[in-house]
Amino acid sequence: MIEVKNLGKNFKKKIAVDDVSMYLDEGESVGLLGPNGAGKSTTISMISTLLPPTKGTVKYNGKNVLKEPEELRPILGVVPQEIALYEELSAYENMSFFGKVYGISGKKLEDKIQETLDLVGLKERQKDAVETYSGGMKRRINIAVALMHDPEILIMDEPTVGIDPQSRNYILEMVRKLNRERGLTVLYTSHYMEEVEKLCDRVYIMDHGQIIASGTKEELKSILSNEETIQIQVEETKSEFRDLLSSQEGVNQVLEDEAGYNLIVSKGEQLLGEIFDHAKQANIKIIGIHVKTPTLEDVFLHLTGRKLRD
Amino acid sequence: MLNVFMLQWKRLIKQPLLVLLFIGLTVLFVYFMGGAQINSTVKIPVYSETLTEAELTDWIERLNKDASIIFEPTDYETAKEDIRMNEIGFALELEEDTYRILAGRQDEQLPVIEQQLNQILTEQFRLEEVRKEFPTSEIEVKDFITLLESQLVETGSAQTQYQLQILVGMAFYFSVYTILFLQISLVEEKRMGTWNRLIFSPISKTKLYLGHLSYYYLVGLVQILLSFYILTNLLGIDLGTNYLPMAAITLAFLFAIVSLGILITALVPSPQSLQVVIPIITTSMAMLSGAFWPLEIVSNRFLLFIAELMPLKHGLQGLIDAILYEPSISELLQPIGILLLMGILFMGSGINLMERVSKT
Ligand SMILES: Nc1ncnc2c1ncn2[C@@H]1O[C@H](COP(=O)(O)OP(=O)(O)OP(=O)(O)O)[C@@H](O)[C@H]1O
Ligand SMILES: [Mg+2]
Repeated sequence: MIEVKNLGKNFKKKIAVDDVSMYLDEGESVGLLGPNGAGKSTTISMISTLLPPTKGTVKYNGKNVLKEPEELRPILGVVPQEIALYEELSAYENMSFFGKVYGISGKKLEDKIQETLDLVGLKERQKDAVETYSGGMKRRINIAVALMHDPEILIMDEPTVGIDPQSRNYILEMVRKLNRERGLTVLYTSHYMEEVEKLCDRVYIMDHGQIIASGTKEELKSILSNEETIQIQVEETKSEFRDLLSSQEGVNQVLEDEAGYNLIVSKGEQLLGEIFDHAKQANIKIIGIHVKTPTLEDVFLHLTGRKLRD
Repeated sequence: MLNVFMLQWKRLIKQPLLVLLFIGLTVLFVYFMGGAQINSTVKIPVYSETLTEAELTDWIERLNKDASIIFEPTDYETAKEDIRMNEIGFALELEEDTYRILAGRQDEQLPVIEQQLNQILTEQFRLEEVRKEFPTSEIEVKDFITLLESQLVETGSAQTQYQLQILVGMAFYFSVYTILFLQISLVEEKRMGTWNRLIFSPISKTKLYLGHLSYYYLVGLVQILLSFYILTNLLGIDLGTNYLPMAAITLAFLFAIVSLGILITALVPSPQSLQVVIPIITTSMAMLSGAFWPLEIVSNRFLLFIAELMPLKHGLQGLIDAILYEPSISELLQPIGILLLMGILFMGSGINLMERVSKT
């Protein structure tokens, strides 16, 4: 349906997107994961015909969207990262306006507004100005506006950023329903690993303007099938302990955070005894130790040596 | 395009303060600057010790044929009291063949008034003498009346010109303010992301711009029309009936200003900076263009040259000329052409710049 090839974008000297290739099939739910500044929003802007790329192409059903945007635009819904609404107007007025822009009018418009308000659960507040809404409600209207014209493809740019868990679950549930029940094709951008794990069939992981890994969730996790993570919680961290861990045979990588250390080790290694020995030697008190099977978060950690969110 | 246009009006109706404020300021400024002059039609209380009441009324009636000064009957005691209380500057005592001026303080108007009075009264006394000698014949006074009248028309015209200057100057000045300030919303929409939402919708960019631009244009037009309507009624200013040329100049002027706004918002793409830049540009343009004072009093050649580059100058002068001298449209082709040319230049470079910035 959508095919992106070697897409790149430079802002003056700054390379925002370096080389991105991806595809979206009909009815799929695809995640685009990456930390702040990875180039997710820039990629989305190019796919949705907002920004002309510096290099590469975006094709919709084989046609270059930059040259023939009329094909893609009517069936594309985009939920921007920011709240892109006229906040002094009501939810109803916003939806009505954007509906009309897509050529919907009369009874059909009215029905569509009520149906969509129902979907996002904001029917009662529809006449109130958007500026009087809570953060979660604004996010939901931000999505509702993108659904007014029954798009076939929905691109969402971090639609749950900065809101409470309840609204977040509501939105996730809603998107899942749209995808499963209505067959809406979804490209979901986030830096919340859990969201993508819950929602998406396939995942692209992006960092520094490049796709660093892609595949189904299972495929990605199998990257780590030969490794597991040992989390060590300590009272305080010490570089001596870290050095000892790093030099330990069987430990592939040592990552430090405020709570302690994450060791990426080869599967099946029995290292607990050694770890306690090192702790004793470095005079470190271990509060907890925990062996984990890998998550997408760990995949990212493994690939970049960084956590998704700092 | 219509949707975008209507939406902007809807937003304006929710937050009309800015436009109402600028219309209000126009009315206030013009009323106090232009209106004060009108009420200065001199009123002179007149009393007499020797003439009967009927004779005095008769005299006053004859004197009042002259519109620039209004004579009102009073009596000596009241006149004296009013002068003492500083409520009036002076009063006229009229006798059968002579007059006196009763004045309290040195009034700056007094010498001028006295001169005019002298003229009027001397003439009237002479007429009276003639009348007494030939009580039955009609008397015609040709020369003198025409002379007097021409002088009055002259002062009246200076007065109108001043009022027009203020009216057109302020109405245009504040309409520039409104239009430019409204255009900040274009930058805000780009920031908010609603602009982007419209870009990836099926609506074309041309329609999107046209929807916005026609809205700014129309708000400006409505404001100017409202200001003119309120003020001409309030102050009794006559704009004449040279409607077509007046409209042509005003429409061309608005086009140039909307385009100027596009150029400014393209050059300064931040709402906060625009809040600062717009008043500076608007006010200095108004000063240079003669919105606050007539350009005739400016003698600096450099300033006059700069004025030529200001759309406001051409709009102002064009409209005032259209009202005062009632030219046909073809006689106003020069200012109209200059305004349209400026409009096209500003608009072209503005939109170009805007689009280039949004792509990088
Ligand atoms: N208009 C622009 N001008 C200059 N640099 C830009 C512009 N837009 C984005 N960038 C830069 O490009 C890089 C990628 O930005 P982008 O917004 O695509 O990241 P992102 O993955 O969406 O991040 P986030 O998770 O914070 O939204 C960043 O380093 C950013 O500073
Ligand atoms: Mg982003």
